[in-house]
Amino acid sequence: MTTLAWWLIRAQFLSRRTATALSMLAIALGVSLGYAIHLINDAALADFSRAMKSVQGEPDAIIVPRDSAGHVPLALIDEIAGDESVALVAPVIETRVRLGRVPTAVKLIGIDVFSAALLMPTLLPREGAATSGGIFDGGLYASPSLLDDQGLRVGAGATVIRGESRWETHIAGDLPAMAAGEALLVADIAWVQAHFGPREGVGELRVRLMPGSHAEAWRAVWAKRLPPGLDIRAAADNAARISNISRAYRVNLNVLAMVALLTGAFLVFATQLTAVAQRSTQFALLGVLGLPPRMRLLQVLFEGLAIGLPGSALGLLLGYGMAVGFTRVMGGDLGGGFFAASTPTIAPELLPGLGFFILGCGASLMGALYPAWLNRIQPLAQALKTGFAQRPPGQASPAIHGRRLMLLAVAAAIPLLISLPAIDDLPLAGYAAIALVLVLGIAAAPVATNLAFGAMARAALPAPLRIAVQNVLQAPLMAQVAASGLIVSFALTVSMVTMVASFRTALDQWLDAVLPAPHYMRSKGLPLPAELLAAIERPDAPFARIERMATGSLSLDPRRPPAALLVREIDRADPGARLPFTGAVQAAPEGRITVWVSEALQEVHGLRTGQALHLPLLGRDVEVHIGGVWRDYARQFGAVVMSTGDYRALGGRFEVTDLALWPRPGSEDAARRWLATEAARHGIESAESGDIRRISLSIFDKSFAVTYALEAAAMLIGLFGLAVTLAASVWLRARELATLSALGFDRAMLARAVVFEGALIALVGLALGLAAGIAVGAILTHVVNPQAFHWRMPLHVPWNQVLPIALATLAAGMLASRFAARQATRLPAAQVLAGAQ
Amino acid sequence: MRRRSFLLAPLLLPGLAAAKAVTPYASARRGTQLVFPRDHGGHAEFRTEWWYVTGALDLPERDIGFQLTFFRIRSGSAETLDSPFAPTQILFAHAAVTLPGGRLLHAERAARVNLGAAFSATDCDVHIGAWRMQRTGADEHIRLRALDPGFAFDLHLTPTQPLLLQGENGWSQKGARPELASHYVSWPQLRVEGQLTLDKTHRAANGSAWFDHEWSSEVLGEAGVGWDWVGINLDDGGALMAFRIRDTSGATVYAHASLRDAAGQVTRFGPQEVGFTPLRHWQSPRNGARYPVHMEIRVGPHTLRTTPAIDDQEIITRRPLPVSYWEGLVRLDGALRGRGYLELTGYSGRMAL
Repeated sequence: MTTLAWWLIRAQFLSRRTATALSMLAIALGVSLGYAIHLINDAALADFSRAMKSVQGEPDAIIVPRDSAGHVPLALIDEIAGDESVALVAPVIETRVRLGRVPTAVKLIGIDVFSAALLMPTLLPREGAATSGGIFDGGLYASPSLLDDQGLRVGAGATVIRGESRWETHIAGDLPAMAAGEALLVADIAWVQAHFGPREGVGELRVRLMPGSHAEAWRAVWAKRLPPGLDIRAAADNAARISNISRAYRVNLNVLAMVALLTGAFLVFATQLTAVAQRSTQFALLGVLGLPPRMRLLQVLFEGLAIGLPGSALGLLLGYGMAVGFTRVMGGDLGGGFFAASTPTIAPELLPGLGFFILGCGASLMGALYPAWLNRIQPLAQALKTGFAQRPPGQASPAIHGRRLMLLAVAAAIPLLISLPAIDDLPLAGYAAIALVLVLGIAAAPVATNLAFGAMARAALPAPLRIAVQNVLQAPLMAQVAASGLIVSFALTVSMVTMVASFRTALDQWLDAVLPAPHYMRSKGLPLPAELLAAIERPDAPFARIERMATGSLSLDPRRPPAALLVREIDRADPGARLPFTGAVQAAPEGRITVWVSEALQEVHGLRTGQALHLPLLGRDVEVHIGGVWRDYARQFGAVVMSTGDYRALGGRFEVTDLALWPRPGSEDAARRWLATEAARHGIESAESGDIRRISLSIFDKSFAVTYALEAAAMLIGLFGLAVTLAASVWLRARELATLSALGFDRAMLARAVVFEGALIALVGLALGLAAGIAVGAILTHVVNPQAFHWRMPLHVPWNQVLPIALATLAAGMLASRFAARQATRLPAAQVLAGAQ
Repeated sequence: MRRRSFLLAPLLLPGLAAAKAVTPYASARRGTQLVFPRDHGGHAEFRTEWWYVTGALDLPERDIGFQLTFFRIRSGSAETLDSPFAPTQILFAHAAVTLPGGRLLHAERAARVNLGAAFSATDCDVHIGAWRMQRTGADEHIRLRALDPGFAFDLHLTPTQPLLLQGENGWSQKGARPELASHYVSWPQLRVEGQLTLDKTHRAANGSAWFDHEWSSEVLGEAGVGWDWVGINLDDGGALMAFRIRDTSGATVYAHASLRDAAGQVTRFGPQEVGFTPLRHWQSPRNGARYPVHMEIRVGPHTLRTTPAIDDQEIITRRPLPVSYWEGLVRLDGALRGRGYLELTGYSGRMAL
């Protein structure tokens, strides 16, 4: 029995080399893409966690202020250190500074050597490195990478600058345990505090508990006792936050992997269905000889698995290769810019690899399921006489009836699925809805064919065309098979194009709204130099209007990345002049702190305009009024805008980080020169709104480049699928064609009939693909993206891209059917007719 | 005499040698009148200070030794830095328990003042996290708390005798030069009650202890490499303290002893009247150092012998650099009998300054 199975599989592979190879390739593509995304992201995360651990150690708890202007007070440090379960407290101040004139900001970590020695030994300076006074005397220590990059010399003087604060010190030594590529400075925590604050405490407190302590319980107890401005976290929360950062981006890449896998499954379906049809006589003969129906079912499944196994294995190899190649060339960043600095090592593990392998095999088995069932129920006697029966007798009406019911059920499930919320921030229901739309599209093919060509069949047409129409009408299953690949691949192409175009159009309009000024200046995360801020206000500066902004961060949920706090010179009475609101704006009530929250923040925390919100601000818990919700495509984790007046009223220090500048009319060139000089002098960024706009859009286009490549691959696979099935269906009808030929049809007429049939099938496929594609595009735009990124945008179908792709596909489909026609009509009619007897 | 801290300090604080010249450390002056409880508190202007308790328990088992020491060091760094936790005052603590017939358990902590550690300037109250030595209450008892995964103790020390001011009214000379001196206060024969935790089992404890508090800015001459010291609670209620400072050849540079008898009569012995003679050495398997754990001590007319509770009472601290010394419970026999602590330093090679 096994021998027979092997023999059949081999024969199948040999006789349908192209189709089998394509199915394998599609499965491999899906598996490799998914696996590569997983490997790259995993490696980038591991790399990030490693770097984090070396800088942070592995504390049992981390106590941090919830907003960037807060601090951990000294009294609390003593209280926590005195807890009997605490073995060690390690206070840390982390800030970003510039070294002299070098424009790039560098991380400066203020440590206490006594605690750092136990918790964060990689941050310790080289022993005996001090040439003139050690770390307690205010020496600065630089990681080897930083020393190299900035050409620093141990013993040389150094000016550390942050906003208005300057610290004149010297490079006392290096940090020997710091990994290559890590650029940071270390100094004693008191020296950092004295120069850059916070005034009455430290930035962060890391806690190591006594061995055997119950860390989670301890954290829970302290979470209740902490003042409102502080959060307590597990070190693992940081990993979760990091994973959250890249999650939304991975969601979209995973959609692409799913696309490829589904295409593979449909190719397997098409290949196996034609294989079953073509071998119906052989199977019938084997059946008569004693092969049980169960074995006929299993055989087709085996064949599906025989495609899936090597395809998945190849996919794993390809995925590994892609991941290694990608990280070598591009580093660990998947295009979202979240891991831009990392160069991780790809380390495949058994379990995820196995998971993707099973996924690939599962896809091919799924594709083989229906053909296998059809093969099982073939009536032997009839198959021996007349070949493959698409509708086994007695099955016909219930099958059709059942199918209609199934279609209705599927259609009804879609709106239900898209109304479900994300699970663990993953739009799983949205994915399921996409898969259902595709299933629906394919299953609707026979119905659509009947509707479209039923009328046409009654019309007076030239004989070849009428034959083609009749063929498509009479053999809906083969038409469905041929169209399925096309439906899936075209639907996915249309959906991705639609999603990307919607996003791009929305981004374009949004950029108009958020870049009102001609010029912008900023110094990444650092306050701007006091000198510059003074210079810009002098009467000789060529500016008519200046708007200042200070950026900070605040954490509403310790498990999520912090939201941005933007303190802006904005008119409380008319915030709409500067923010693109998504709905109504409520007037800011007198005497109440008013904020305008971004859409992402609104979605994540379920906020409403007009409601009160508690925000961690300046180390306190402050109740604010939500004046409105605005659209923000720049900050995925949410942003809160507050006026400078309100921030100052709370007692905050307005440390300007960004400037928007309007030149005086007539002095545009002078302004440009002025800004270039000042930007170079202070080592900060200056850009015109046009440049920012161009760069933003080009980053957007680049990050979706991989999408376009995959769409092309999907279309190609879909077209091959069409060609393969058409060729098979023509081959099945060889006797019929030979009869027509005997009746006086010449080759050209026959070819025309087949090409027309191909065009009809392609039309059905394209029409259904378009419909399904727009539906999937809408799900991606309105469900998957908002759930993953919390960004909303209007749907925009780019007809100028969709229609040319459709036309090109139609042309390619007709070309493929011409090829199939030539193959089928090459045999002499007499031989075919004789052989069929 | 807890001078190991002087050896520790330059190792821990690389800037100290340079800073020393400019830091206005106070010096121990002859004739200074000590006032209590003020002088139980910290003396931040001095370079080094320690509060040190050693003792022997009779419950839960006889001859369990314990010690808890807090060191304060004025680093000489960041003196003018405007920060509440400028690294000017650093605290270290060592805690140890000697189990008879068993081994020595020890632990250490280090922190700067205001980052999880602090000391009082008005009375004995010093802590690093949950480790604490604090004098409280009407009966002037001292509470000791130290905890570690391996052991923990929470003990109350109640005075049974008055303070013992070492040297001249608490001014204790350490070398031939008059600048080499400290302020040194002892409190022998403290009654101990409380709790000792071993292997997570709490057990009631009692016994007797010895408290030392000493502060100074310069005591170690150029010649000294290490020292031998004993502080013994005598069985008859008396108290004996003796030390000598050794040079590279092992010869005595300076020595001193004081003996208070049960009636409270104090006798002091000068360098010529005090002698230390090794009787037996124990070699450390960890660093090869040979410690004279069995010592003959001559104090005036008395000839005494120390016998260690266990041989291996070597302490190796690692924070942030390794320092090794022997500090352990001993039994004193001969003309005087009692229990107390012997300290032997500078035996694991000369410590580079």
